[in-house]
Amino acid sequence: MKKNRSILEADTIGTTTFTLRELCEHGEVHAEFVIKLVNYGVIDPIDGGDAHRWSFDLPALARLRKAQRLQRDLRLNLPGLAMSLELLDDVTELRREVERLNQLLAQLTRE
Amino acid sequence: MDFKDYYAALGVSESAPPEEIKKAYRKLARKYHPDISKETNAEAKFKDVGEAYEVLKDPEKRAEYDQIRKYGARSDGSFEPPPGWQSASNFGGGGYTEADAGQFSDFFESIFGGAGRGSRQPGGQGFRHNMRMRGEDVHARLALFLEEAYNGCEKQVQFDVTEADAQGRIVRRRKTLNVKIPAGMTSGQHIRLKGQGSPGIGGGSAGDLFIEVELAPHPLFAVNGRDLTMTLPITAPEAALGASIKVPTLGSAVNLKVPKGATSGQKLRLKGKGLQGKHPGDQIVVLQVAMPKHHTEKAQALYQQLAEEEKSFHPRSHLPT
Repeated sequence: MKKNRSILEADTIGTTTFTLRELCEHGEVHAEFVIKLVNYGVIDPIDGGDAHRWSFDLPALARLRKAQRLQRDLRLNLPGLAMSLELLDDVTELRREVERLNQLLAQLTRE
Repeated sequence: MDFKDYYAALGVSESAPPEEIKKAYRKLARKYHPDISKETNAEAKFKDVGEAYEVLKDPEKRAEYDQIRKYGARSDGSFEPPPGWQSASNFGGGGYTEADAGQFSDFFESIFGGAGRGSRQPGGQGFRHNMRMRGEDVHARLALFLEEAYNGCEKQVQFDVTEADAQGRIVRRRKTLNVKIPAGMTSGQHIRLKGQGSPGIGGGSAGDLFIEVELAPHPLFAVNGRDLTMTLPITAPEAALGASIKVPTLGSAVNLKVPKGATSGQKLRLKGKGLQGKHPGDQIVVLQVAMPKHHTEKAQALYQQLAEEEKSFHPRSHLPT
């Protein structure tokens, strides 16, 4: 079995973009689903305008996959999906904030 | 193999009607969905709940399971199907369920039959040999120490890919890669390694590997996007008179100028000393005036003098006393 031992350079934010077609391929979804998600503001193309010219970044793919899992597993409709994702973003941000504040508080009250 | 109590997994009684089972499943699916829950074992619980529902929602499978359940687990909780057991639901025939049977437990498979573990093909029985298919993308998480994220690092990542074996069955294989992580990554950011996911089938191109970075908590710095925050204890004289204080950063230590008349909670910003990137973050230093627990007699006398000198200062004037 071949093992790749060489060191690989990673693509990061800003260097990786997907066309609508590529996004569908990676997300294993139909373009209609992506277009609906864009219309509901669940994911945003980097540049708006015509769907043929859309390009998406890596976080958009992660979000698409999350949307897909939630829709499949919880049978959410699109408005419910859009709201759930927004609330989950808020929860994630708040959890991080609480963690951060707890850490600072621990430093401040350290004897 | 362990016996699985599907009724317990859904928290319903053996006699629960289908509506109750559906309701319990929906509730638990929301609770343990790995995209929602922060519980450490959420993913395993979500799978258990899904597997339990897959069986209990179907009258035929449920009846078979009830039969098996009577036959029961051994006293140590382990389980072997009754000799000659064969499921009538013929799960292995494929097209029977929407769920990915490759995700289900050995217990499930021993009762209802396998469905070609990990197969992506509808029908569940391998794939046609003349088919050309792009390899699956693989998504993985990688935890980094803050220092590693700041400096960039080389990491070994291990993940499972799916590929066809000599018989054309889809099997899982563990893959190990050494990946160079660029400097300045922060929690929630993704990197992509093109062509490092599962190999393609029938000459199709390989999938990609996507890695989401997570930062481990740091004893000194709290991370907010690319900004880092730390508290810096200073003495009362340093606060009153101002001082130049050596402060650690993720790079080399720097001298921070504390202004005259500094107070606890005051924030000072070290520009560009946070996580690096196109828009480098800052290091925010929160001052904290620290006091010794004991003072010499001479110091106490000086404090008395100081109290006299600053008696016009009323830090509690806003409190209703």
